Amino acid sequence: MRRPYLLATVASLALTTLPFAAHAQFAPAGAGGPPSASIPGPGKADEPARDAPPDPSYFAGPSPYAPQAPGVNAANLPDMDSIDASALPAMVQQQSASPAREDWATYGHDDNQTRYSPLDQITPENVSRLEVAFIYHTGSYPRPGQVNKWAAETTPIKVGDGLYMCSAQNDIIKLDPTTGKQIWRHNLNVKYESIPYTAACKGVTYFTSSQVPEGQPCHNRIIEGTLDMRLVEVDAATGEFCPTFGHGGQVNLMQGMGESVPGFVAMTVPPMVVNGVVVVNHEVLDGQRRWAPSGVVRGYDAESGKFVWAWDVKRPDDHSQPTGNNHYSRGTPNSWAAMTGDNALGQVYVPTGNSAGDYFSGYRSPEENAVSTSIVALDVKTGSPRWVYQTTRKDVWDYDMGSQVTMMDMPTPDGQTVPAIIVPTKRGQTFVLDRRTGKSILPVVERPAPAGNVPGDTRAPTQPWSVGMPALRMPELQEKDMWGMSPLDQLYCRIKFRKAHYVGEFTPPSLDKPWIMYPGDNGGSDWGSMAYDPQSGILIANWNASPMYAQLITRRKADSLKLMPIDDVHYKPGAGGSAEGNGPMAGTPYAITIAPFWDPFTRMLCHKPPYGMITAIDMKHGQKVLWQHPLGTARANGPWGLPTGLPWEIGTPNNGGSVITKGGLVFIGAATDNLIRAIDERTGKVLWSHVLPGGGQANPMTYEANGRQYVAIMAGGHHFMMTPISDQMVVFALPKDTN
Amino acid sequence: MVNLSGNVMFRRLHNATFVEWLVLLLGVVITLVGVAFVIGGVDLAMLGGSFYYAICGLVLLAGGVFIILGRTIGAFLYLGALAYTWVWSVWEVGFSPIDLLPRAFGPTLLGILVALSIPVLRRQDVRFSNKGAV
Repeated sequence: MRRPYLLATVASLALTTLPFAAHAQFAPAGAGGPPSASIPGPGKADEPARDAPPDPSYFAGPSPYAPQAPGVNAANLPDMDSIDASALPAMVQQQSASPAREDWATYGHDDNQTRYSPLDQITPENVSRLEVAFIYHTGSYPRPGQVNKWAAETTPIKVGDGLYMCSAQNDIIKLDPTTGKQIWRHNLNVKYESIPYTAACKGVTYFTSSQVPEGQPCHNRIIEGTLDMRLVEVDAATGEFCPTFGHGGQVNLMQGMGESVPGFVAMTVPPMVVNGVVVVNHEVLDGQRRWAPSGVVRGYDAESGKFVWAWDVKRPDDHSQPTGNNHYSRGTPNSWAAMTGDNALGQVYVPTGNSAGDYFSGYRSPEENAVSTSIVALDVKTGSPRWVYQTTRKDVWDYDMGSQVTMMDMPTPDGQTVPAIIVPTKRGQTFVLDRRTGKSILPVVERPAPAGNVPGDTRAPTQPWSVGMPALRMPELQEKDMWGMSPLDQLYCRIKFRKAHYVGEFTPPSLDKPWIMYPGDNGGSDWGSMAYDPQSGILIANWNASPMYAQLITRRKADSLKLMPIDDVHYKPGAGGSAEGNGPMAGTPYAITIAPFWDPFTRMLCHKPPYGMITAIDMKHGQKVLWQHPLGTARANGPWGLPTGLPWEIGTPNNGGSVITKGGLVFIGAATDNLIRAIDERTGKVLWSHVLPGGGQANPMTYEANGRQYVAIMAGGHHFMMTPISDQMVVFALPKDTN
Repeated sequence: MVNLSGNVMFRRLHNATFVEWLVLLLGVVITLVGVAFVIGGVDLAMLGGSFYYAICGLVLLAGGVFIILGRTIGAFLYLGALAYTWVWSVWEVGFSPIDLLPRAFGPTLLGILVALSIPVLRRQDVRFSNKGAV
């Protein structure tokens, strides 16, 4: 009897031990879904020199001085002329300067970008009766054979008789705000190839011309920046191109950019009009190459589309367009987040990111180091920086600035107010700056940061911490924070934790073994930005705690993984080298492998929840936390991506911001549970929620039409957040019999 | 009468065999968990991490093998490991339910099954020692 038992034991042991051992040695992520990076682990950053690559330049991409291929100028538009800032016509007051009570006139509601609406028909008492008023289908979603790169992230604006929005691929749409009926739609035919990391269009901009009289076409215009780098203006009444803007209504933003390919650079945020200058920024795909296209920020005449200035970091004294074979400085920090315009001070607040080749800073110039991961106040007449406030020095953690800053009047102890901006960061450090000087109003301390781990790449000795604001972050990770469904996956994560470098928030990149980045590139505050109620002084912030697990690898190893930049002739979409996953960082000594700090088998994050939070801060009385709780239930989340159906408010990763209404409510989707919810602004209690047809990774908005208040959210989903993609914008209102 | 009682005897034996196979399966599961704990736990301890998994893994391994062999001592070894798990868990994270979930929930479920298997193991123990005596 005993022998068969023993045989069974030995056989089972042998069968199951091997896979476990493999699992412990960093099992590869599951095939298919994004992101699928596998981190090599200690001592495995370099491949044995067995097979040298056939040609050292095979994976390097073309020369940064190569001419721009014809198709990169998507609409094949002629070049734009320049105009001197002194020749610009004065701007008339815009709708967004003081929006009508029932409107939502710009991306963040008003020029201050508060995300606060004075509407109060929907209240904590009646919000539970909210129902779907209408749904609009944009028609933009991945078709068969296309990689899912969708996350529409759209926030409509509402001015007068129209609800204006864009599809994820930039078609501009005007809807009847009471019925959702399409009034016009202007298709811009943005190709799938032009989608960078994400097919997103966060919104459009409403502009009133001073040159075209009221009643004429293009007196009121809708401005949009596209994924394929066009700046377009259409008539708000008809949707037709404005013939006096650019070339037939369009400007080619690839002019002066030099060598590129579709999908390398793209616009996903609404352009910002300040004193008649429409300011445009763009994202540059992360992780590709040191000499990626420029991160230049430019100003154009909002009336004519003529070029006014460029802010090119490495040409600080030259604000003109490059001519001939010249191009804007390559590899400079890009700015992909929504900017904020300040008409009174004549400046625009530009949230900047990182120089290209994100995780190696050894080749960055002093000019780049001075302005990366900062808020830069640019003079809108000249394009020169008036001040720079840096939130992370020599950033190699992808703590680029994702949020739009919010303008507010900050009370001081002596009863005065200071014109201020609230600057959220991915670090969860929130800075409050004087708009006039760029100096911090609240205390900020410099704390020592760890030295570098990589030869030829030193780290900044200190980093700034905004101690005057509540930190939107969790304590540093410890081994005992590792989580899982059972002791086995917890053990796996403990080993994974111990195998990486981790000395807190500024753990430097490393080649010998992985390192942990926490809060991480999806941590703290991102593009959802914050909402600020100027009446109550309450600031609403939703934020993330989602560490990343990364390792630098040698060029030889990168070549063996066939990592190459998007503009390499051998590049194949989906064959590695995509942003937010493994990146070639061509032109630097190393490439990057990066994935969430998770168990790739169960697809659960390695550390314990909550992963997403929402916090209310009283800005008028000492920046105290009024309430704070996890955001997002476990209903649509679980091991292996299976929905648990549990109403447990575990706190999921979240992307997308909130709205505050005078009715005393906060509306927010954002979490990966696909819910939109209404929260009591005073108590934080969730009063209502509704299941959306896709992920609610977009900023909601609210407006009134025909005496009825509506709440709109794009339920577009998000590929990286792994929420369902849909093309539906869902609009809610109280039943018509209310009151 | 003899026939009848023989039939009853047969049925009891038949049922008992099925339960014994379940207990055997339980023993295999515990052995595998123990092996995983030992391999991963030694790795973790050598990386400067917790010693709990390596130590607990050895007890689990012994407990699992004894349960496979049909020895009651295996069940008590498992329950000892479970007690150690609870003491260690509470020492590490207190009574926080979210932290106790990965540490203690699964092992406690297994512990209930192990406790239920004790009578079966006792019977096997008797048979084992009878055989041993013969």
